[in-house]
Amino acid sequence: MSDANTPQGIAAQLSELSPGSAVSLQMSVDSYLEVMRGVLDIFARKKDMDTIYVTATISFEAIKRVLDALDIDTSRMYFVDCISHIMMGTTAAQKDEHASLVESPTMLENIMLKVEYLIRMSPSKNKLVVLDSINSLSIHNNNWILSEFLHILVSGLRAKDAYTIILSVEEHSTPEIVNLVNLVCDQVIRIGKPGD
Amino acid sequence: MMEPRTGDRVRCATGIDGLDTILYGGIPTDNTVILTGSCGTGKTSLALEFLIHGALNNENSLFISVTENSEKLLANIIPYRFFDKDLLKSGKLVFVDLPAMYDRLGMTKAELSMEEIDLLVASISSLVRELNTKRLVIDSITSVCYKLKTPEKIRDFVLKLSKALSDLRCTSILVSEVAPHSNAYSLFGVEEAIADGIMLMSNLERRGDLLRTLQVIKMRGTMHSRAKYVLDLTPVGVLLVPLLKGGSAGT
Repeated sequence: MSDANTPQGIAAQLSELSPGSAVSLQMSVDSYLEVMRGVLDIFARKKDMDTIYVTATISFEAIKRVLDALDIDTSRMYFVDCISHIMMGTTAAQKDEHASLVESPTMLENIMLKVEYLIRMSPSKNKLVVLDSINSLSIHNNNWILSEFLHILVSGLRAKDAYTIILSVEEHSTPEIVNLVNLVCDQVIRIGKPGD
Repeated sequence: MMEPRTGDRVRCATGIDGLDTILYGGIPTDNTVILTGSCGTGKTSLALEFLIHGALNNENSLFISVTENSEKLLANIIPYRFFDKDLLKSGKLVFVDLPAMYDRLGMTKAELSMEEIDLLVASISSLVRELNTKRLVIDSITSVCYKLKTPEKIRDFVLKLSKALSDLRCTSILVSEVAPHSNAYSLFGVEEAIADGIMLMSNLERRGDLLRTLQVIKMRGTMHSRAKYVLDLTPVGVLLVPLLKGGSAGT
């Protein structure tokens, strides 16, 4: 595994960016855990940030289990769960004060509203917003509305000096998806498979 | 030299960030605004927030409730993180139930006469003067209009009330109820023609999702956005973001 693909390497690349930056983090399926550790553990802790994690891929409950298994501290993480409602499995998210539910990944405005709410609630000066993932959102939304959503979301977060990281899975991405993410991001970081 | 785009009117900042941005700084002071929408669109919450921010800003604020009693309303505003109970104790934020006022004035009949309309306007004005009210909400004006019955009486009432409140330098929101999917801004079709502003709150259905929206239709004395915004009612107040056009159902 090259240095850039390790959690430390990912965090180091992100640390070079100034507050308000938006990053397109393109990863292979196999790199997911390294990315989680690099972004949520090392980078967020180093910058003393509260993290708002928008999950459209797996439920809050599942992502929490992954993070607990990785022994990543989630006390400063707040989740916007866009998937539990459509899976009819909202119980865990409803009971946890760190989780906010959006009824469907098609309600992109409500995702923006929940992010805005959590930013206002966060006492931390520094904030990180992670969007996991653009591929999952693209299952439920057309590229036109996704592009508009990313533009408004990222512009708003930039104005608040919050870091935005948009995750995409290379194996599942189309050139259109890559283009619409890159259009709003300042930097593209590619995390390849071991040995790439 | 270019004229300032917002004009010279002094603003009554609602305290709701997104709405003040839409209104280029707030509602022009002394305006009477109709806040209209069907049930469950967030009218009362937005109106209450307007008053609480005013009271926090040292402006005496008055809520005249027609349909719900004050105690029930208060239970709804307590979750607001910015709400301070001392506003009630200090008299900065006052709740009055209109049915109690009707009783005091002896207005027991189902339909008010022209004289009674004058008396009602005079009573509300007197209360506003007495309390030195700078922000007023009547929730809802539709319920008052049910006691007026005819368009002539409604017109007379809204005109006189609006003038009286404006003369008292009070910025007012009159909450109006409309049926879901209605194209009108009020049930009787009269109030909106007289008001200085109309803010429309709706439920927008898009591919099975129901979004709460807000749109400023008119506002005398200021430039404003006429676009539709999606809102959320949260413990930090009303939050607004633009409606994404790519998914608009065209309604």
